[in-house]
Amino acid sequence: MTLNLDRRTFLLGSSALSMLPFARFAFAADARENPIVAVDTDIGNLDPGNRVGTTEANILLCCCQTLVRFKPGVLDWENDAAKSIKQISDTEFEFELNPGQMFTGGYGEMTAEDVKFSFDRFINGDRDGKKLTYADDMEALKEVQVTGKYTGKLILKHPSAALWLIAMADGSGAILSKKAVEELGDKIATTLIGSGPLMLKEWRPKEQFVLAVNPDYKGPYKAHFQEIVAKIIPEHKTSFLSYQAKELDFTAFDFDQIETAKGLPDTKIIDIPGIDYTWIGINVEKGDLADIKVRQAIRWAVDVDAIIQGAYSGAVSRAKTLLAPGLLGNWADAPLYARDVEKAQALLAESGKTGLAFSFTCLNDAQSLAVAQIVQANLAEVGITININALDSGAYWALGADDASKDLELSLIPYTSKFDPSFQTQWFLSSQIGLWNWQRWSSPEFDKLHQEGLETLDKKKREEIYIKMQELLDESASCIWITHGRNLFVNASWLKPTLLPNGKDWQFEYFAKA
Amino acid sequence: MSRSPGAIARFVASRLASVLLTLFGATVLLFLMVRLVPGDFASVMLGPRATPALRAQIVHEMGLDRNVVEQLWLFVSRAVTGNFGQDVISHRPILDIVLEVIPNTLALAFSALALALVAGIPLGVVAALRPGSWIDTILALLSISFITTPTLVVSIILFLIFAIGLHWLPVAGAGDAGSPLDQLRHLILPSIAMALGWVGYISRLVRASLLDTLTELHVRTLRAYGVSELRIVGIFALKLALVPVVSILGIGLGDLIGSSVVVEIIFARPGIGSLIFNSIAQRNYPVVQAAVIFIVAFYIIANLVVDLINAMLDPRIGKSLTARDG
Repeated sequence: MTLNLDRRTFLLGSSALSMLPFARFAFAADARENPIVAVDTDIGNLDPGNRVGTTEANILLCCCQTLVRFKPGVLDWENDAAKSIKQISDTEFEFELNPGQMFTGGYGEMTAEDVKFSFDRFINGDRDGKKLTYADDMEALKEVQVTGKYTGKLILKHPSAALWLIAMADGSGAILSKKAVEELGDKIATTLIGSGPLMLKEWRPKEQFVLAVNPDYKGPYKAHFQEIVAKIIPEHKTSFLSYQAKELDFTAFDFDQIETAKGLPDTKIIDIPGIDYTWIGINVEKGDLADIKVRQAIRWAVDVDAIIQGAYSGAVSRAKTLLAPGLLGNWADAPLYARDVEKAQALLAESGKTGLAFSFTCLNDAQSLAVAQIVQANLAEVGITININALDSGAYWALGADDASKDLELSLIPYTSKFDPSFQTQWFLSSQIGLWNWQRWSSPEFDKLHQEGLETLDKKKREEIYIKMQELLDESASCIWITHGRNLFVNASWLKPTLLPNGKDWQFEYFAKA
Repeated sequence: MSRSPGAIARFVASRLASVLLTLFGATVLLFLMVRLVPGDFASVMLGPRATPALRAQIVHEMGLDRNVVEQLWLFVSRAVTGNFGQDVISHRPILDIVLEVIPNTLALAFSALALALVAGIPLGVVAALRPGSWIDTILALLSISFITTPTLVVSIILFLIFAIGLHWLPVAGAGDAGSPLDQLRHLILPSIAMALGWVGYISRLVRASLLDTLTELHVRTLRAYGVSELRIVGIFALKLALVPVVSILGIGLGDLIGSSVVVEIIFARPGIGSLIFNSIAQRNYPVVQAAVIFIVAFYIIANLVVDLINAMLDPRIGKSLTARDG
């Protein structure tokens, strides 16, 4: 075959070549066998005790085994690495591992020594003795005893209902290979040796990671896809557009896009009410805010419904207490403070304070600023001047250090939750004043109840404890609850993603074809 | 270029010395500036999990508990050997973190600049050949529109038309590492978005410069000798008219790399712009410092290269430079 490269052929060829990049990109999506999903943060550190966010936790939970594993989409768990777990007393558990659970990378079989090593790191720190970031998840754990190759005991300092929910079944409970950690040293931050259904096949920082089936996995939770590709796309708006361009099969999206999402073909929407909490904290130690009547007046004057409409496009529901519906201890009968300007003015008159002016500290994103402006307008109507102090995330979160919160007055605070109520109530303790208790409200009774809640195993009793704690918070008038948020996702109709009820924990091992 | 090799070497050596001095100055300035910003890494990364003990631990690991002079000395002495330390979170060498994103940004900046030159120079020439005509007016309007439309807006419009509407081009990422075609496809929209403003800028510059050149004496002489207008413009005048364009290429490259952050965020492309942006937000000072030093170094070197190219293009510039420096 000869090729005559004349002018006409050259022009034709080069034109065709220049159009090649424009070849319809969507074709790739139609032929996909394995899903491509978007995650909003890159891998930071894959050490279970030093992980940074949910991306790492989700990878850990599908690539490692835990003693117990959450069932698909629910907070009940069943044995995973453990063949059996037997409760001897409120503070003692015996476990036996399944034999033949192999770590990837040729690091051998999982034994009780690996369990002890993995959990001891939370108690004693890493190899240099440095405390792990997530050490507090296992605060209740006193020690792990090895009684045989596959058997051991968990000894607790005190009874703990939270230990299994927020530690053992979560990322902190991931069982590592002792040999691998000792060999890899600092590299365990980016090298994951697990024994779970999937394995981290590839990671291109800032671009994507690939989870692939672990061929050595012998347990019951076999992955449904050979591979799952996760693209790192920090902005939900970009990932949502990528989804529309059929580059992705699953992504979170912002609630102002819900109407667009509803109109997308071959798409399912997952809508999970949030369990996080955003509130306006009032510093009870600061100047005129020390007067409870002023705080109550502010609570009556702020129009939370208008905030929901104005700053959240009406897409989230209003919170009326700390613990979200669905969580243990949710106070369903908590009072709802519908805006009442007259009541607010009457309380201010009773306090005898006039010409009040306060700062309102918030993050500098559009939503927080919208909340601030609505609060500013609301309080202006009752004669309170608000000066908005919007900070970038670096300066804002630094307020949790060095007693910086003592200068705060009103602040808009967004916190994330875990499934156990004790995780949420801990930030309101007296011991957190100067750190993360920006209200600086102190109640010995609240502190005592928190400890009781940690050590009580009876569900009904725990519920009563946490409701009582929220009643105390309500009486303090130090918090104006805004919302628990909402988690929205779109997925291609051929894909069935599985998420826990907080919308943050994705169970990649259960992702399947619809 | 008719200077001796010794003169050129002296010129390059003196410029390199000033490059090192500038780099050192920029390093010190940057080092001091990032420390004036309120906020700390541990609080941003860990939020309420940042206990005082953990915060102190991270401050120690980052070396921020030493005095500023000691920190600066450590940083500079390590940086000259290419050791920027380890990232506190991932424990990966910071140099690796920076180096793995630089190719993406350079590809973006160079392709944008190439596009700007390929489109901007012909538009400028056409406008200069018909000054005051309707073509010139239309091109002027077009150029000004390109210059004044923010990259953000152009990115979103391109995005909506070509990725969402027509599904011709991908939206996010830099493409598969093993597939140059895929990478090229991912480069098209971001590079057009970045190039557009520079198309307008270069076309205006070429127009003005060419009009000036065409009135010079040597052009009149060429016309008097009967040299065709095409040869005069294409070979003699354009070469001189491009001198100011080449001069701004160094600045252009620096500007494109610096402004890549917007495009990298919108198109979710890994790159040095988004790395710096995120690292500043996280107060991850060591990464910010290392990444910015790379940009500063690149910017300075690009300007050095531009000076040398200019010296080659215009003998008058070359002569003055070597005379001044040696």
